[in-house]
Amino acid sequence: MWEFISERGDLIAYNALQHANLVLQAVVVATVLAVGIAVVVDRFRFLDPIANTVSAIGLTIPSFALVGLLLPLTMIGALTAFICVVFYATLPILRNAVVGFAQVDKTLIESARGMGMSDLGVLLRVRLPLAWPVIHAGVRTSVQMSMGIAAIAAYVLGPGLGGYIFTGLSQAGGVNAVNYAVVGTVGIVLVALVADLLMLLLGRLTISKGIRA
Amino acid sequence: MADTLPAQPAADALGEDELAPKSSARVITREMVLMLTVPPVLVAAVFGAFVWWRQTADLDSVEAQQLRWSELRSLGWEHVQLTVVAALIVVAIAVPLGIMLTRGRFRAASPVVIGIANAGQAAPSVGLIVLLFLWLDGGFWTAIWALSLYGILPVLRNTIVGIQGIDPTLVEAGRGLGMTSAMTLVKVELPLAVPVIMSGVRTALVLIAGTASLACFIDAGGLGEILQTGITLFRFSLMVTGAVLIALIALLIEWLGRVLELATRPKGI
Amino acid sequence: MTQTDQASERAISGAELRLENVVKRYPGQKTAAVESLSLTIPAGEIVAFVGPSGCGKTTTLKMINRLIEPTSGTILIDGKDISQESATSLRRKIGYVIQGGSLFPHMSVAANVAVVPKMLGWDAKKISARTDELLDLVGLDPDRYRDRYPRELSGGQQQRVGVARGLAADPPVILMDEPFGAVDPITRQRLQDELISIQRELRKTIVCVTHDIDEAIKLGDRILILQEGATIAQYDTPDAILAAPANDFVHDFVGAGSSLKQLSLARVRSLDLVHPTTATVGEDTGPAVRRAEEAGDDAIVVLDDRGRPVAWPWLRQVRSNDRVKGSPRENLVTLDQAATLNDALDTMLTAAHSKVIVTGDRDKYLGVLDFETVTEHMRRTEREAAEHQLEQQEGAQADG
Repeated sequence: MWEFISERGDLIAYNALQHANLVLQAVVVATVLAVGIAVVVDRFRFLDPIANTVSAIGLTIPSFALVGLLLPLTMIGALTAFICVVFYATLPILRNAVVGFAQVDKTLIESARGMGMSDLGVLLRVRLPLAWPVIHAGVRTSVQMSMGIAAIAAYVLGPGLGGYIFTGLSQAGGVNAVNYAVVGTVGIVLVALVADLLMLLLGRLTISKGIRA
Repeated sequence: MADTLPAQPAADALGEDELAPKSSARVITREMVLMLTVPPVLVAAVFGAFVWWRQTADLDSVEAQQLRWSELRSLGWEHVQLTVVAALIVVAIAVPLGIMLTRGRFRAASPVVIGIANAGQAAPSVGLIVLLFLWLDGGFWTAIWALSLYGILPVLRNTIVGIQGIDPTLVEAGRGLGMTSAMTLVKVELPLAVPVIMSGVRTALVLIAGTASLACFIDAGGLGEILQTGITLFRFSLMVTGAVLIALIALLIEWLGRVLELATRPKGI
Repeated sequence: MTQTDQASERAISGAELRLENVVKRYPGQKTAAVESLSLTIPAGEIVAFVGPSGCGKTTTLKMINRLIEPTSGTILIDGKDISQESATSLRRKIGYVIQGGSLFPHMSVAANVAVVPKMLGWDAKKISARTDELLDLVGLDPDRYRDRYPRELSGGQQQRVGVARGLAADPPVILMDEPFGAVDPITRQRLQDELISIQRELRKTIVCVTHDIDEAIKLGDRILILQEGATIAQYDTPDAILAAPANDFVHDFVGAGSSLKQLSLARVRSLDLVHPTTATVGEDTGPAVRRAEEAGDDAIVVLDDRGRPVAWPWLRQVRSNDRVKGSPRENLVTLDQAATLNDALDTMLTAAHSKVIVTGDRDKYLGVLDFETVTEHMRRTEREAAEHQLEQQEGAQADG
């Protein structure tokens, strides 16, 4: 096992970074997307249950199925993996962003407007910072979820550690099958743990002390 | 994967204290109504479209072979079996374990168990399945073990949270009336925790139904097989059919979970 | 009133506010929320809007900073039509203070105060100097409070920061919506006193919406009493309204105890203060104690280097130290010179000395008010009122 890893150390590290990179990029896009949609939902409250229903239905659809639906459109490769991860990463953030925005005290918004803040100013300086703890929690969940989805997306040659799992599967019975599968699985768990710690750190840095739990 | 933590994320994100009131709320929210009505309609519509396409499409021999109705039916049945059996095992293990972890001397262990379960949830489901396959060889029961392992966390966590979330004065009242510890559990704590537990069961059902689509990788059947074949032969018709059927069955199972959740809710809560 | 005499010596920094035939009609509602309101608020005065809930007072207030756009009519500040300007730039020139302070919980106290100056593009140095100045003005030590977050403050402190925030960019007009609604009565009274004291210094034009007639009487240079549809029931000085309610509505609204309310018209500053021995923090106790003994005082008022009272120890407490000590200022109950006699009585009844220290601008020590002075004043007022009534009756008889 150790021999297996030390022989391929660089490659494994590279794939781990690729995995993290895919998730990072997808979650960043998903956050922007989700917050954007949530702003619209917050503006038109009747969309609220619809957004939640869409998000719940979306989360019910297995990622393998989405991969299958995307393939005819985006073909095998990183793009399919990316879109797939973005799709699932968006949903929990959307859900939390909608809740987070709804929780912002309306009198604070009015007082911000009364002081002469523009709509954009109110969004960036009042609503977003106040909703951020809840949104951040959604992003954190999203990162964890995306780690596993990226693994499945490796079936259609997405980047990252998931490929090792499928290599292990295809070499079943071979000497290195278990090594491959373990490196893929444990590697993803480790990347996920590190990512979660980083997310906690991000929370410490970005959530105002005035509203931290 | 979405099969990792559906529905749970929101509850996670909002914190556990939000979880209990949300799932045990007496009021039927607009969202609940939507989630009870939209999926079955959606499933019926999409399935109708699929049937129409299947009957009218010009399929070549490979496709026609793969998409025989009898084949679809047996794969679908396998999928359901995988999901239901694994879910039953999950409930049989996680609920008693969860109850135990809220009792007396085991209570201290509950954070540890939850911690382990949480960490385990970070493992990709496909990795778990493949590892179990390499260890136990393929087939139905290997898949069942992988799925059950994967579905335990939400039920376990919600059982513990559900019981711990009960107003302690109610338990005291039960004891005050002369109930034994076991009686308060059965008569007071469990009924009150059922809504929370059932929401965990629904989450587990979704996880399992989704992960069941990966059972094909280890020769355990299920609807994933059509999709897998589609990808291998690179035939869009097979890919889309597999994907659509997997999604439909997941939606249907989630819907059943919701109905079950509503049906098991004790009256008066 | 003495208040205006005193205040007129200072420069008015407020601007005149005029409403001309202002109407607010919501679609689908039969009656207008505000039915053709015309009103002039002179520069540098506090006008209190009072009336039953739903009378349109808050709607009127929010039309002044265009949080609500009037259906028709014109609002002018300093003679300029406010609709000619963009709503955001208008609002940056109008202070806005609402119930509970409505501070942004994710911003520090300093950041909250700095919101408008920042939007106006002031440089950082000017902003921080201004922030400190304002915190000091509202009675919060900048060094202690600048970096705190709202949740670390009491309700009264939050409200103070809210006032500081409203004053931040030195706006000529300040709108207040139930500014002291969310705090306990004693804190409310202090905040009202402080506002009056600040106003004495700044002379802004302040519009204050309140449902509390006592607050209106206390704060307002004028009171606007509104009926349904923001119809003016009476718009006059508190004295005039109490002396001669325009109609039954005003009479009922002002309430039965209006002769008692005359008491809340009299301010502490109109009474004679006594001047017991004072000492400065850090001074040797020996001479201070001697001064007190010569004057026959049993306690000493301790002032800080800026002449603000910080403690009021008994002589024996002073003797036990080498130097005069001052405890944190918050622990000492004081009364602003603008406080009403009602407030003064309330405060004395809960204080240890049956006397209370009176302060002026920026908490500067003025003297001490004792219980006898207040009761004496009350007795005299009652007597005068009775005589007045008698005269009126006699006058009526003579007429008949």
